[in-house]
Amino acid sequence: MKEFKIQNLIFKIMVVFPICSMLFALCLPLSADALTAEEVVKKSQEAFFYQGKDFKARVMMKLISKSGQERVRELTMLRKNYGASGGEQKYFMYFYQPADVKDMTFMVYKYPAKDDDRWLFVPAINMVRRIAAQDKSSSFVGSDFTYEDVSGRDIEDDTHEIVKEEKLGANDCFVIKSAPKKADVDYSYKLSWIDKGNFLPLKDEYYDKKGGLYRVFSGEEIKDVKGFPTVTKRTMKNLSSGHRTEVTYVKADYNINIEDNLFSERFLKQPPRKWIE
Amino acid sequence: MRKFSLVEFSVNHPKLVVLLTIIVTLVSMTQFTKIRTDTNPKHMLPETSEVRLWNDDVDKAFSLYEDMIVVGIENEKGVLNKDTLGKIIRITDEILKIKGVATRDVNSFPTITNVSAEESALKVAPLMTEVPKDDTEMQRLRKMLFENPLFINRIISKDGKTTAIYIPLEKGANGKEIADKIREIVSKEKGDEKYYIAGDPVARDTFGVEMFKLMAVFAPIAGMIMLIVRYLMFRDIFLSVTLMMDAMVSIVWSMGLLLALGFPVHIMTSMAPVFLMAIATDSIHIFNEFYFRCREKTDKKTAIIETMHAVGRPVRYTALATAVGFGVLLFMHIIPVKVFGGMVAFGTVALRILSFSFIPAMFTFVKDEHIEKASRSEDAESGRTSQFLKKLAGFGAHKPKTTVFIGLIFFVLAIIGITKTVVNNNMVEWFKRDSEVRVADTVMNQALGGTSLGYVVAISETEDFIKTPEAMRYIEGLQRHIEKLPVVGKTSSVVDYVKRINRVLHDNDPKYDVVPETKDTIGQYLFLFSMSAKPTDLDNVVDYPFKKANIWVQLKTWDAQAMRDVIKAVDEYKISNPIQMELRPAGIAYFNLIWNDEVLSDMIKGFIIALIVVFVILVFNFHSVKWAIVGYTPLLFTILLIYGVVGFIGKDFDMPIAVLSCLSLGMAVDFAIHFISRFKQRVKEQEDAGVPASITDALLWTAARPGKGIMRNAVLFASAFSVMLFAPLTPYITVGAFIVSMMLLSAVMTIIFLPALIMLLQGWLFKCNKCL
Repeated sequence: MKEFKIQNLIFKIMVVFPICSMLFALCLPLSADALTAEEVVKKSQEAFFYQGKDFKARVMMKLISKSGQERVRELTMLRKNYGASGGEQKYFMYFYQPADVKDMTFMVYKYPAKDDDRWLFVPAINMVRRIAAQDKSSSFVGSDFTYEDVSGRDIEDDTHEIVKEEKLGANDCFVIKSAPKKADVDYSYKLSWIDKGNFLPLKDEYYDKKGGLYRVFSGEEIKDVKGFPTVTKRTMKNLSSGHRTEVTYVKADYNINIEDNLFSERFLKQPPRKWIE
Repeated sequence: MRKFSLVEFSVNHPKLVVLLTIIVTLVSMTQFTKIRTDTNPKHMLPETSEVRLWNDDVDKAFSLYEDMIVVGIENEKGVLNKDTLGKIIRITDEILKIKGVATRDVNSFPTITNVSAEESALKVAPLMTEVPKDDTEMQRLRKMLFENPLFINRIISKDGKTTAIYIPLEKGANGKEIADKIREIVSKEKGDEKYYIAGDPVARDTFGVEMFKLMAVFAPIAGMIMLIVRYLMFRDIFLSVTLMMDAMVSIVWSMGLLLALGFPVHIMTSMAPVFLMAIATDSIHIFNEFYFRCREKTDKKTAIIETMHAVGRPVRYTALATAVGFGVLLFMHIIPVKVFGGMVAFGTVALRILSFSFIPAMFTFVKDEHIEKASRSEDAESGRTSQFLKKLAGFGAHKPKTTVFIGLIFFVLAIIGITKTVVNNNMVEWFKRDSEVRVADTVMNQALGGTSLGYVVAISETEDFIKTPEAMRYIEGLQRHIEKLPVVGKTSSVVDYVKRINRVLHDNDPKYDVVPETKDTIGQYLFLFSMSAKPTDLDNVVDYPFKKANIWVQLKTWDAQAMRDVIKAVDEYKISNPIQMELRPAGIAYFNLIWNDEVLSDMIKGFIIALIVVFVILVFNFHSVKWAIVGYTPLLFTILLIYGVVGFIGKDFDMPIAVLSCLSLGMAVDFAIHFISRFKQRVKEQEDAGVPASITDALLWTAARPGKGIMRNAVLFASAFSVMLFAPLTPYITVGAFIVSMMLLSAVMTIIFLPALIMLLQGWLFKCNKCL
């Protein structure tokens, strides 16, 4: 009887416990993976705005009016991270099109929880002007994208909540509802479909203060660039004005060692060849 | 002869006829649920009209909104104080939440784009996101407002006492609901501020409400007045009600048809019930005759048939003339005028069918004793009125030369008056002076740039041409040239933005408040502006390829003439400054001018057609060109006199007045037809009876007997339309005054001048008459 008990104990120790712990171990990553809404948003920002040490792309922007008239913006965008996701970043933009703004450059220092610094070089009068910080929800170069859409929004500015998880096309997504804490933006809340695999936003829906859907972002093409999944085609559509903006990244690249001194007034006036070709 | 059998049929089967009438009426009434109004002046012209297509193109090219509500906020002590500014922010916030408001493009202190230089930085941002906390901030706001020409007279008056919130509406939004919500928001605020709500949608909706009032309140009142006047004339409630029913039935039929065909009620059509009611008074000739006949013949049925025999012909012809007068409107361009013409023409025909069926059928239900009583009073009454009419006609008959001479003097005066006519149309003046719409408009026109908006579109063949200094200076020069006109309150264009940025980039140095030297600079400034401003700020003034620029011209008056002045100034400028750019007017002010002109040319065309057709009808009716000319004279004379008076008192020759010109012909010709027909009948009867014909006697008889019908008709007509003098909208008042004076005048003209003319021209007239 006693022997049996010992055997039983041994069995317990040798078999049951490991199985249990294995089962437990199996369970563990699952529960560790149950991300909070904030974590999903953070990962998404990381994947969407902070990928790599630095980043470069030739950006083709098409602004299309309701009646089908088009305006084109073509620029090279250079970005360098200073700190982790959600931290400081510097942007440098050089414009090729429209033709009369060729050589115009635009620089943004982005700070978390603080207004951006922005500078613009106007080649025709050879003048660099600081542009006063303003509403981040204002339009980026006249497109349907806002500054926030281009460079991200502080996570703490919104309350986030996972509303559901569903498939968008073939992709499993978290659907996050983010509602601004302060009423200083145009929308009352936003729903984002975030890919569970690469954490890139595939669709955002913006609801206005009257509760109506009025702006839709869609990530239309995702390509792998140096191992980083990157949204290379995106569209922002304003449903109330009927206006939309299509953006394509060509020649996107990561970790290209952009020098710190590029982000200066001197190079704003005379951007180094290698970055703008 | 077919009509005759209709009368006999009706007299023989009165119940069936009445029942049928009631059934058709009830069926027509079922259509009333479909009623909707259309007060959008845009719909005056068809969608395919050139001006509408062009305006739509302009709206599209420059992302313009069709509809805009403007809220004016006035504070006698100035709006730049914490309290009022707080209210502006609160009100704007609430307005942004209203469904149907194009939130992104609302312009007010908290939302309008402000380009300024701040601590060596360029700032493109909303003007005022929060109320200034202290005096320094307030001073800064004041400075920003008053140094920026884009703001002055737009969101701040020069004296700082008035501001405005511009609220564009999404397509298909309900203007009235939004305006009501704004009123509610504004009414929550206490204090000294006065609020004015203006804009096209508000005017349109107010107009729509007043139109319903006219139809639902004024038309029935007119009906009641006619009922009472008729009762006083005939002292018989049953017959008065029958006549009333006659009018009502035809109104219900034509309204039913209009609505069944899916037409909305326009300003013109809303007047149709009153018109039909007035036209229905023509049946009074039947009653008039019926009473005389009843006294002479005791058998009712015979009396009815004989009555219809005697008055059938003139009644048919007057109906035809009236129907034609309105029918010509069908050939016009203005849609509501067409619909109105068709509807009233249909109603007139319906009325006549009723006159030959429903009315005789109803006569059979009248108890004999009633008729006797009524015709006794008729007899007694005929004494006074007929004597008076005889005297009137006697003056014409006995002193024809004097009468005609006096007429000639009036004729000359009328012509002088007509030459003084001012052609104009002002839709805001369709509202009464103390109406909300008009008050708001007046206040805002005094304080700000002007509520009536026109555009001048500069068009070039070359892309990006607008960005050239050449084009910019050209547009700038044009703006300064147009601004010289006293009716122009403010102009704005892309040039204003470029100059503003030029100045702000150069540390607000006024020296740089000019168009830059190179195209690249301009292009880069515009790009800079578009980088941070609201997209529509630029879209509203330049198109996408920069081939077209839109110059906004705010006018201080809704007079169609104002836009004509602008176009003239633009043409002058074009000639003295030739450049590779076309300049074309557009916008609502331009549209108003175009349709105003269209109405006038349509009406002149219609008037000429009506003149010819009515003349032809007269010729047919009288079987004589000469008699047609004679019958025509008092009618034309009446119209000339009225337009002469219009010219003398300086009333604008506007849409309602123009439309009336056609109608008056069709309606006033009735009297001449009745008078001459009956006069000739009388002469013929006397000849047949072998009595030596005395033209004077026959004239006096006509004036006393059918003349009484004419007078009654005119009085009834006038009393019905006099109600419109109290209407809340001026076009109705105009129509009321016009018709009242026209009816009374043409009745008197007919009774005085026809005898005079017939006496003078008897030799010429009767040569032919004998051979008839």
